[in-house]
Amino acid sequence: MASVIRTDNLTKTYGELRAVDSVSLSVEKGSLFGLLGPNGSGKTTMIKMLTGQIKATSGSAEVLGHDSLKDGIKVREVVGIIPEQETPPSFLTSSEYLSFVAKIRNIEGIEKKADWWFDYLDFADKKDVLCKDLSRGTRQKLMFAQAFLHNPEIALIDEPLINLDPVMQRKVKNFLKDYVKAGNTIFLSTHILEIAEDICTDFAILHKGKLLHTGKVGELKEKGVHLDDFFMDLLERS
Amino acid sequence: MLTLFKAMFKEEWRMHSTLFGNLNFALFPVLIFAIAFMGAFLLPLVHNMMDTFILSIVVHAQFLLMGVMVGSFGILGKEVMNRRFGQSSLIAYSARSLPVSERILFLNFVVKDILYYFILWVLPFCMGFLIAAPFINLSIFWPLLLFLTISLAFLTGLCVVFLLSSVYAVSKRALYLVLSLILVAFAVVSILYSPVFALSYLLLPANLFVSFSYSGLLISLLLIFVLFFLSVVFYSPYDTSSEKHYKNLLNSWSEKLSFLKDSTLVAKDFIDLYRSGIGIGQTIFSFILPLCLIWLVMSFVNQFLPQTGILFTLAVVSGVIASTIYTWLTEFDSISAYYFLPLRLSSVISAKAKTFTVLQAVPVIFLAVVAVISGGIGFFLNSVVLCLSVSFFELALMVRLCGLSPGTMIYNVRVFLVYILVTGPVILVLLGLTFISPALAYLSALMLIPAWLMMKSGFKKWDSEDFTGL
Ligand SMILES: Nc1ncnc2c1ncn2[C@@H]1O[C@H](COP(=O)(O)OP(=O)(O)OP(=O)(O)O)[C@@H](O)[C@H]1O
Ligand SMILES: [Mg+2]
Repeated sequence: MASVIRTDNLTKTYGELRAVDSVSLSVEKGSLFGLLGPNGSGKTTMIKMLTGQIKATSGSAEVLGHDSLKDGIKVREVVGIIPEQETPPSFLTSSEYLSFVAKIRNIEGIEKKADWWFDYLDFADKKDVLCKDLSRGTRQKLMFAQAFLHNPEIALIDEPLINLDPVMQRKVKNFLKDYVKAGNTIFLSTHILEIAEDICTDFAILHKGKLLHTGKVGELKEKGVHLDDFFMDLLERS
Repeated sequence: MLTLFKAMFKEEWRMHSTLFGNLNFALFPVLIFAIAFMGAFLLPLVHNMMDTFILSIVVHAQFLLMGVMVGSFGILGKEVMNRRFGQSSLIAYSARSLPVSERILFLNFVVKDILYYFILWVLPFCMGFLIAAPFINLSIFWPLLLFLTISLAFLTGLCVVFLLSSVYAVSKRALYLVLSLILVAFAVVSILYSPVFALSYLLLPANLFVSFSYSGLLISLLLIFVLFFLSVVFYSPYDTSSEKHYKNLLNSWSEKLSFLKDSTLVAKDFIDLYRSGIGIGQTIFSFILPLCLIWLVMSFVNQFLPQTGILFTLAVVSGVIASTIYTWLTEFDSISAYYFLPLRLSSVISAKAKTFTVLQAVPVIFLAVVAVISGGIGFFLNSVVLCLSVSFFELALMVRLCGLSPGTMIYNVRVFLVYILVTGPVILVLLGLTFISPALAYLSALMLIPAWLMMKSGFKKWDSEDFTGL
């Protein structure tokens, strides 16, 4: 299998703090890759470096063959991103925000695509409401839609489910599973292990910036080990 | 309450010091102190040229002006609370889950800001004079009185605009009513007595400095208190009770702007300005109001200026003030809401510069009014070239020095020093030239060349740096 994301000793330091510490990993095409780790372990920092939103201190990273360090713009053109904070611009309406993203990404036929998302995530009634007046969950739906408008080959999504109700969570999980079945790749950061266990094919555990483990979710299941037991064990030992 | 306040205060400090280091921030008041200290030695010289009252008006008007420029908490404050704090989930935001009302939270925020302005500007300025006093044979009484009266001037300006902006946020019509009432009152007093008399009431603290009286002090304090109290009463947090639906403007507006490469970003800026009311609000409070004030004060000191002096001085000053439009364009926009899209920082900055360019219509209209009223209509074009050259030069300087966070970066002592060391001489040279001959105002257009270069190098600089702003 071809790897679509690859990092080699990727490191980000903030003064003394090593937010991400020499992480080398590779993500295969068609996988739903879960980056797991406790708060502050460096998950968001990883995603930001991979997409060139912040510059790595050392090491290298590549997404779909584009160098994240030198060519972040190119990476962001081809991937979809859900940032950690679900804050679309206050004074645009939901549908304006989607048009806004479409214009920046040069996406054609946005009206139809947007309508599909409004229906699918069940918030068509909030189309013309300003983003600042939306509930957190609705904002998260909007950020979700925004990331997939251009059918990216890879989507890097940072805690995309946290504010969604159970019905929506299931819907989104199914969407993600189907999305990778179609040959795309998802890079998901989360600390909700049940979600990871439910949908991920591969996972990596990050702790204090260090990569502790990478593996396949299926192999754990075969051994009859729960992901959260495995996770707790690993953290205790480290 | 006090804990909350302390936390907010620390947070503001950290925000600045993580952006550019503790020392660079801590040295800022030291720099203001040094400037005032050295300025004090010029005092005897200046005193030979102007009488005390005029000098006092000029100094106090400056602090009043500063209050006016920073006082629009009613509109910008809550936007900043919402974004600057909302984004980075700082205390003002997370405290919303605490059992304190939004109003109290806002009050904390405002008081914290005022205290910062005191520590960064007012206090060091007065200390400079205080320490210089023995060297220039000045009784220590004067610097102390000055501290009192410029504090009052600053607070008066701040509270007036705080109130006006709070009223504006509730109802625009009410604001226009209040503004017209003030104007009419001023006109009536000017006609009945004299404009000087009216102005001295407007600048009560300046009056107080020249002839101190306890009753005057009491009136000043009372005025500030009432204004502040009313502002807080009028303050309205965002009303989310009714769900409003809006027409899609983005498509039509970006179409209209399609001659620009980044029409989408610019259209978004204009939608923000329009829907939030910040566009008109900030134009009134941070532009028209301060400039009218300067105009008023200048008509006092115009005996020292050549005939076209007022027009050209106002052109330069409005150029400098117009360049601060860039600050609020960056302040109310949460760039992190779209920075994860394939955009360079320089594209965002350049879109802001375009929005900025369209908004330069405001100073041009203002200068047209001044030209008509002051009888210098023949020099209108000269003044426009002068003003816009200054404004774009300052914009480029700010872009180069501060990128997308001019509001915070300016407190970096190195940035501030470069800013004033470049701006000061430029202004003086330009004013000098126009005093020699009005035609020389056109020479100012030459500044667009360094402006362009600074802009380009600014783009390069910020593209190669991590985006740490909010
Ligand atoms: N701009 C910054 N300056 C300094 N330190 C930072 C900065 N951004 C992140 N950090 C630090 O880097 C570490 C990793 O942060 P990161 O946001 O990547 O964690 P995370 O795994 O996403 O956590 P969470 O699950 O809470 O979202 C943390 O210790 C954080 O405090
Ligand atoms: Mg995170």
